Amino acid sequence: MGRPGLSRRQILGGIGGLTVAGSFGFAALGTGADALASGADTRVRYWNLFSGGDGANMIAMLDSFRKEHPDIDVKDSTLQWGNPFYTKLAMAAAGNRAPELGVMHLGRVAGFSPGRLLDPWDMDLLAKYGVRKEDYNPDLWNRGIIDGKLYALPLDIHVQLCFYRKDVLKKADLLDDDGRMIQATSTADWFDVLKKAKKVQKKGLQTIGLWTNDQNFQWWFFVAFYTQLGGEWFNDERTDVRFDADKATQVLEFLRRHVTDGYVIPGAPTGEQFINGAPFTWEGNWSVPVFSGAELDYGATPLPPVFGKQATHAESHSFVLPHQGDRGGATNEGAHELAAYVVKHAQQWAAGGHIPAYTPNLSTAAYKKLTPQNEYVSAMDHQATEPKVWFAGSTGVLAQDLGPMVVSSTMGSAKPDAVARRMKTELGKLLASKNPMDGKTAAQGGAVA
Amino acid sequence: MTTTSAESVIAPARAKSAVVSTTVRRKQGFQHGGWFVAPFLVLFALFVIWPLLRGVYLSFTDANISGDGASFVGLDNYRDALNDQAMWDALGHSAYFTLLVVPCITLLAFLLAMLAHHIERAKWLWRLCFFAPFLLPSTVAANMWQWLFTQGIGLFNHTFGIETPWLTDKSYAMLAIVITTLWWTVGFSFLLYLAALQGIPGHLYEAAKLDGANAWHRMVHITLPMLRHITGLVVALQILASLQLFDQAVVMMDFGPGPELSTRSFVQYTLEQGFTSYRVGYASAMSIIFFVIIAAVALGRMVLLRNREEGTR
Repeated sequence: MGRPGLSRRQILGGIGGLTVAGSFGFAALGTGADALASGADTRVRYWNLFSGGDGANMIAMLDSFRKEHPDIDVKDSTLQWGNPFYTKLAMAAAGNRAPELGVMHLGRVAGFSPGRLLDPWDMDLLAKYGVRKEDYNPDLWNRGIIDGKLYALPLDIHVQLCFYRKDVLKKADLLDDDGRMIQATSTADWFDVLKKAKKVQKKGLQTIGLWTNDQNFQWWFFVAFYTQLGGEWFNDERTDVRFDADKATQVLEFLRRHVTDGYVIPGAPTGEQFINGAPFTWEGNWSVPVFSGAELDYGATPLPPVFGKQATHAESHSFVLPHQGDRGGATNEGAHELAAYVVKHAQQWAAGGHIPAYTPNLSTAAYKKLTPQNEYVSAMDHQATEPKVWFAGSTGVLAQDLGPMVVSSTMGSAKPDAVARRMKTELGKLLASKNPMDGKTAAQGGAVA
Repeated sequence: MTTTSAESVIAPARAKSAVVSTTVRRKQGFQHGGWFVAPFLVLFALFVIWPLLRGVYLSFTDANISGDGASFVGLDNYRDALNDQAMWDALGHSAYFTLLVVPCITLLAFLLAMLAHHIERAKWLWRLCFFAPFLLPSTVAANMWQWLFTQGIGLFNHTFGIETPWLTDKSYAMLAIVITTLWWTVGFSFLLYLAALQGIPGHLYEAAKLDGANAWHRMVHITLPMLRHITGLVVALQILASLQLFDQAVVMMDFGPGPELSTRSFVQYTLEQGFTSYRVGYASAMSIIFFVIIAAVALGRMVLLRNREEGTR
């Protein structure tokens, strides 16, 4: 017979071609192949933005859901947080390739075109799986309601906290009988506390870590203290700016004084210095696992009520239903079931420092035992949030425009009163500007409870 | 007779077959060449030409990130952009950065190349030292220098015994980015200069020496003129690269616009408009404006250079 009528090149070419064709075939099969592999009937795709410790906690919660619900195949994808996530979510929803379930910051929901890019929750289905309005803090629940419909189901609130080192504060006689920080109720009180702490702290470290050159943190602190002063943003109709430049100036001067009085090293890392012995740092509650992991003797309370009223900045991770043209059926029900399950089983989530939004979680013995979580759980009742408008929310337009202004005041390159006036002008511009998603201004927009 | 007739029959056939085979070869050559180029052409059309055309189209609409519901708005985006102070500020920052970086990097690259060219011992070590930073990803370089510049704990202030707020004061922030960029990217221009230096024929220097020209004269009358073309190339490439300032600035400023917005570049502002504010139409218009500016700069340089060359001829 002799050699077969195929050259080596032809064989190699054939194999290559088969591989390419095969990969196209599998790609085309895609979803079906996944569902077959898991043996489940219903497949719920879930996009989130949780990495690091949060990511591990979320995966653990998903795994326990999978164990209890073998009939539902949860396919979770973690995407990079911030604007890249929102871009992908918007494009997927617009292109009718949206996953069944997604996560968003609650403050961004109003600007995300509810009704077009987001579908409302089915209240009956939620109730079927054990989640009702009564299980929520009313203020938090209402932030997810737009045009009378629930578009965001909160999983948690995450807040800005005042972390303190008990070992240092004890030396300065700043702890009460329960071993908690003595509360400062005025700016004078607060600077007195800092002065006392500075006297006993390790040399070479800052007294408090304040993220002075970070536009997000500075903005969050501003929102907290401006709310403590009872400051308003807009009128109810969102046609007029009610921003109080005098109150804003007070807040900006307060933040600035930390630098001028030498309690902060601008640009220095906050967490690292705290671990090394700095008495205070203002940080998000997501730092709890970091500080607990470092085995520090520390506590965490909401930002001090230096303007008389309790209020600390709060945002919320919320579940949303990205818009699907044919939303419904078993996959939609699966999405409701999964979200309700995670919301109700948020004990694991609380270990990451977040305050569970589903209030029955807060009264469990397990939660009450968590320290320092039990010290700041009250933050649920005095949340300082951005106004409910299309341009607000985590890393949104409002924070992006006003955050740098706060930084320039805190860092001393612009005067607080001038900055406050600029903030007011900018708010006026934003209020009059149109939401690119639907071409409506805040006054015309539907972001109303 | 027979032989002749046979030859006379065969000859034209040969000639014909030669013609045919050339045509076939040419045709085959074209086919093969076409196939080789096709993947590139397809990708180029798909990822460069099509997005470019799409961008031009979007710049005349009020498109948002979701891509649907856009309507034609004519030149509105362009009018808004030209009236947008923030855009002009951002353009100013990119231009300021370019003005600082281009002369410094050109001079530095030349000096380093001279050094590496003339030093006899451990040549490879010098070349490696000067070129190595260029191999780092921008995020790595920017993060390193962010640490070095940090006030209070940074090596920079510590070494010089100063307390300069490099990253947090608007008078220094851009300077810090410029210094980082110089260190990070000088290697590329250094390499171009080094190659050009090695290409200058040695006999020119020998002849000059015989004529009694000292080191300075040799530099001014031989080295610099011989490097004129490469200097033009270095300057042109640096202008185009510097105008597109983005990644190192963004990383060094913790993804913000820097103190008092002082380091927000044109590219960064465009990105913010497109992906934070979801104004895709507006961001497209800004991209087109930027494209025109860069094209004008490149064209301007070309015309300038051509005139100068014609002048020398």
